Amino acid sequence: QEGLKCCLSEFQRQLAWVERLDVTLGQVADPVSQSASDKDAVDPENDFQREMSFYRQAQAAVLEALPKLRKLQVPTRRPDDYFAEMAKSDQQMQKIRKKLKSKQEAMEKSEKAKQLRAMRKYGKKVQTEILQRRQKEKKNMLNAVKKYQKGLSDKLDFLDEDQTLSQGNKKGNANQRIKKGPNAKRRYKNQKFGFGGKKKGSKWNTKESFNDVSSFQSKVAHNKGPRKAGKGGKKALNKRPGKRARQKMKSRAR
Amino acid sequence: GKWKNKERVLIFSSRGINFRTRHLMQDLRTLMPHSKADTKMDRKDQLFVINEVCEMKNCNKCIFFEAKKKQDLYMWLSNTPQGPSAKFLVQNVHTLAELKMTGNCLRGSRPLLSFDPAFDKEPHYALLKELFIQIFSTPQYHPKSQPFVDHVFTFTITDERIWFRNYQIIEEDASLVEIGPRFVLNLIKIFQGSFGGPTLYENPHYQSPNMHRRMIRLSVAAKFREKQQVKEVQMIKKKESKVTVGEDPTEVVFETPAEEKPVEIQLVKPESKPIVKDKKKPRKIQRKKQKKLFRTE
Repeated sequence: QEGLKCCLSEFQRQLAWVERLDVTLGQVADPVSQSASDKDAVDPENDFQREMSFYRQAQAAVLEALPKLRKLQVPTRRPDDYFAEMAKSDQQMQKIRKKLKSKQEAMEKSEKAKQLRAMRKYGKKVQTEILQRRQKEKKNMLNAVKKYQKGLSDKLDFLDEDQTLSQGNKKGNANQRIKKGPNAKRRYKNQKFGFGGKKKGSKWNTKESFNDVSSFQSKVAHNKGPRKAGKGGKKALNKRPGKRARQKMKSRAR
Repeated sequence: GKWKNKERVLIFSSRGINFRTRHLMQDLRTLMPHSKADTKMDRKDQLFVINEVCEMKNCNKCIFFEAKKKQDLYMWLSNTPQGPSAKFLVQNVHTLAELKMTGNCLRGSRPLLSFDPAFDKEPHYALLKELFIQIFSTPQYHPKSQPFVDHVFTFTITDERIWFRNYQIIEEDASLVEIGPRFVLNLIKIFQGSFGGPTLYENPHYQSPNMHRRMIRLSVAAKFREKQQVKEVQMIKKKESKVTVGEDPTEVVFETPAEEKPVEIQLVKPESKPIVKDKKKPRKIQRKKQKKLFRTE
């Protein structure tokens, strides 16, 4: 140890600070760092922590040294019109810039893709919700129509969606009797299983439908009316003779 | 002003260095305008030949890179005529050309040197600090230097090693970007003379790379040997004759032998048992013969 100190004293040169430009200093107090005690125990395996400690040490040195340099009138900022050779060539700097840009772009792309995916999922959810809502409305509407058909309620409320329930209740007294129509059990089952049965019921074979001859057109039946568009020249289509005529033809042919 | 501080540093290497070391050397030469280059030295020559080379080139400091086994890199820092010298093991080398180092600085601008407070605590570190200052600081008014101060070298002591970083100063508020090469120095020895002389200090924490590799190999071998030993012990245990417990006469006291049945000889075939349907077993379903679907006439 003595030898070391002796050697150091021989070797040391007393130069003005401006020649050496050295600063021996700890680190800048970091507002983010945990506590003062942790600074001493920088884990060398933790790369990020280690590099941050170096960075902070450099920062402290710079903050201390710059005022001194300014006092000594040593310039620290390069003026914009001062062009000189740099330690790294321009080509190298371009390569670096390109790499940084490509990294950033890749990140942005991945971000965009993630967002798109999230939006698509959300859109799908919204769509299914809308479809379900529409189906529900349709179901309600149909139930209301069926109720009306069955005679439970003679109000056409379901056609106007804006009508409130309260209005319906005021007119309820006159329809009490009709509402008690089917049994409570029957009503419960109707509610649970719907009104079931045939969906439209528009073509029943009832007395009225049987006696209804309104859709009979004699000209069409006897093939006497003027031909509708498109059958020019083919008059022989409907001229098939009846059964009796055909049998006569057959027997005559034998 | 006049250039008064006449420091000149000779930077060169031995043969057998790899590309990374070569680039590091070149980076140091660009960063330090007060440096001179020299050709590779032959391995055969002794180290004190370097002193003569330095004198020829009129340099008073030297950085010498020595590569061994194509794997390990040693660095000598020395003050050539009489001063102290130090030998380091260099690890974790990253050069200027790596794309992650995004900063840049003027070629030949003077650096600011930043040291850890730990450098002042030990005498050997203090000596090293002085050595670093004299070698790495560019003299003022050096003809090849630029008058600006725009980058800072940091030397930090962590994990018994010296870490070197080079940052560019961007703003006056000390925002920094890393420029330059990076390396880690592991001190081996400090000598009183240049490339020789009595040893002033020897680093107790230093383990030569050969020893390091040997330790790894030994540990692996030790694991394997342990496993084998355990196996052998197990085999021996199995083969050991087991201890036989002697007969205990009192054990038999409570034993009562069973009654002997008369021996019956069967002459007549026994009756066959009635077959009982086991309703729990699944029945085999008899398939009806399929009717012919069409008649052939």
